[in-house]
Amino acid sequence: MPVVALTDNYTFPSRSRQELYGDDQLVHVLWKGNRMMAAAATFRAPKAMPWADFLGALVDPWAASDPDYVPGSGSGWTLDGQPLQPDPGKGLAELGVGHKSLLTFEA
Amino acid sequence: MSKKLSMQQRYAALTRDLDWTPDYVDPAKVFPLTSFEGIKVHDWSAWSDPFRLTVDTYHKYQAEKDKRLYAVIDGFAQGQGHLSLSDAQYLNAMKLFIQGVTPLEYAAHRHFAQLARHFDGPGPRFAALCQSIDELRHTQTEVHTLSQYNKYYGGMHSNWKMFDRVWYLSVPKSYFEDAMSAGPFESLIAISFSFEYLLTNLLFVPFMSGASFNGDLPSMTFGFSAQSDESRHMTLGLEAIKFLLEQDEANVPIIQAWIDKWFWRGYRLVALIAQMIDYMLPKKVMSWKESFELYFEEQMLNGLFKDLEFYGIRPPMHVQQAIEEKEILSHQVAWTLYQFSFAAGFNTTVPDEEHQAWLREQYPDTFDKLFAPQWAKAKKIQEEGGRFFFQGLPQLCQVCQVPMLFTEVGDPETICQRQVVYEDERYDFCSDGCQWVFEREPEKYVQAWLPVHQIYQGVCGGPSVPEVLAWYGLQEGDSGEYIGSLDHKDWLAWHATAPVGS
Repeated sequence: MPVVALTDNYTFPSRSRQELYGDDQLVHVLWKGNRMMAAAATFRAPKAMPWADFLGALVDPWAASDPDYVPGSGSGWTLDGQPLQPDPGKGLAELGVGHKSLLTFEA
Repeated sequence: MSKKLSMQQRYAALTRDLDWTPDYVDPAKVFPLTSFEGIKVHDWSAWSDPFRLTVDTYHKYQAEKDKRLYAVIDGFAQGQGHLSLSDAQYLNAMKLFIQGVTPLEYAAHRHFAQLARHFDGPGPRFAALCQSIDELRHTQTEVHTLSQYNKYYGGMHSNWKMFDRVWYLSVPKSYFEDAMSAGPFESLIAISFSFEYLLTNLLFVPFMSGASFNGDLPSMTFGFSAQSDESRHMTLGLEAIKFLLEQDEANVPIIQAWIDKWFWRGYRLVALIAQMIDYMLPKKVMSWKESFELYFEEQMLNGLFKDLEFYGIRPPMHVQQAIEEKEILSHQVAWTLYQFSFAAGFNTTVPDEEHQAWLREQYPDTFDKLFAPQWAKAKKIQEEGGRFFFQGLPQLCQVCQVPMLFTEVGDPETICQRQVVYEDERYDFCSDGCQWVFEREPEKYVQAWLPVHQIYQGVCGGPSVPEVLAWYGLQEGDSGEYIGSLDHKDWLAWHATAPVGS
């Protein structure tokens, strides 16, 4: 449904659009079933960042907020609702992770 | 000689008699904002003003109330009133108030000044003018009242800057900006009806009752001083909606959609108040659940909405979700603020045993099962010398801007995730309600200034947490754990020679 506005031509760009992040993008990561973490985390990561680096440099330090987390123990990954078997050497974009994609895991 | 005019005659002279129809300028050019929303008004004179104030009586009343308030503030300062609170932790509630509510008073002042200029009818114009002045007065008196505490406690010094910048304050800020960037009728429903009528007892009143229960005499006196204004504002909200519904049947579906939208926007905003009531007040007033049942379910759903049925208005869409959430809302939000308080303008801590016993009593079905284990784990971490913080930034809802902490209806263990792709970009929502608000007007909400996304663009002081906190205007002691904080240490030192409360 279009916005009801004073002018006919009401269009403005998204204030979170991908181009504002250069070669990077925003990625959400939700730790399913762990209610210690109040919400999913949002990271800024290079599109070409290999999965293993993404886990080691961004996901692990965040998940370690919970002292019971064992680094690298995440399993059952999903990407935007679909199961994901990530190849650790592949880049995020190559794995299909887009701007503001949602990754989930269990541990 | 004629006698003096009666108050009613003076009021009529002040409003109706000073109105005229422009004849050498197109009226649509004088009032350019009142037609594009589709609202039809046939007879502005049918607007009846519940409070027929004239300028001189208005100022007389307000001056008297101000005199009383400032006398209390003087007495408070002379009597070292900052020492006689229930506990220093109480002020976390008032920090939230001066950061998140006082700037809304100022925003409301601007909002009603705009309405006072743009309505075609003299009755609502004058009512909006009076309310605009009220809101400015509230801004000033709140600042003067709370500045008494600012001399001694953290978190209150940069409230204007914080309101513009800090992540959780973007929740109230975006609510008002959403309203003020809408047309005059929608914004009237957003502020006068949804904010000042539908939700006022859940929004504003808890702070003032909290003040009264926790020994904060100045804030309580401010509350009293604002009360007669607030009841005038409430009446304006109700009058506005009834007037618009009576003017034309075609207005009904438009207003219904605004009620649906602004109920949900307002309800998400009061999530911050829900946790304040249950977790920030050392001496409790009532629980969020009790407050929601009394002020919303009983008074609004079973009262107001029964009256509005006559006009063809039904209860707000998504209201069922709010009812379902009443047992979990305050806990989920408090838990979130606990783990993000490293970036907040107040302190948090694990509720002590007495506090948890009260929560257990108020929430027998949910507290022990869902929330006590989290607090127990946080306490254990703290006992081992750590402090549980979320070491990252949270995913935010595109509409309400609250971190995506809310859970699926009927499943309090699964975080609700809703996504919409609009013009090739993905947007995230915390609930069906926020998704629905977005889908009505995506062109508007794609512009949302989401604190987390902005931090990652590097425009909030820098990439590291300390740089962002400095940009927020936060200083040492404003944030983080309460135990051992500056406020806590000062409070203990000030009371070291005499037990608290003696």
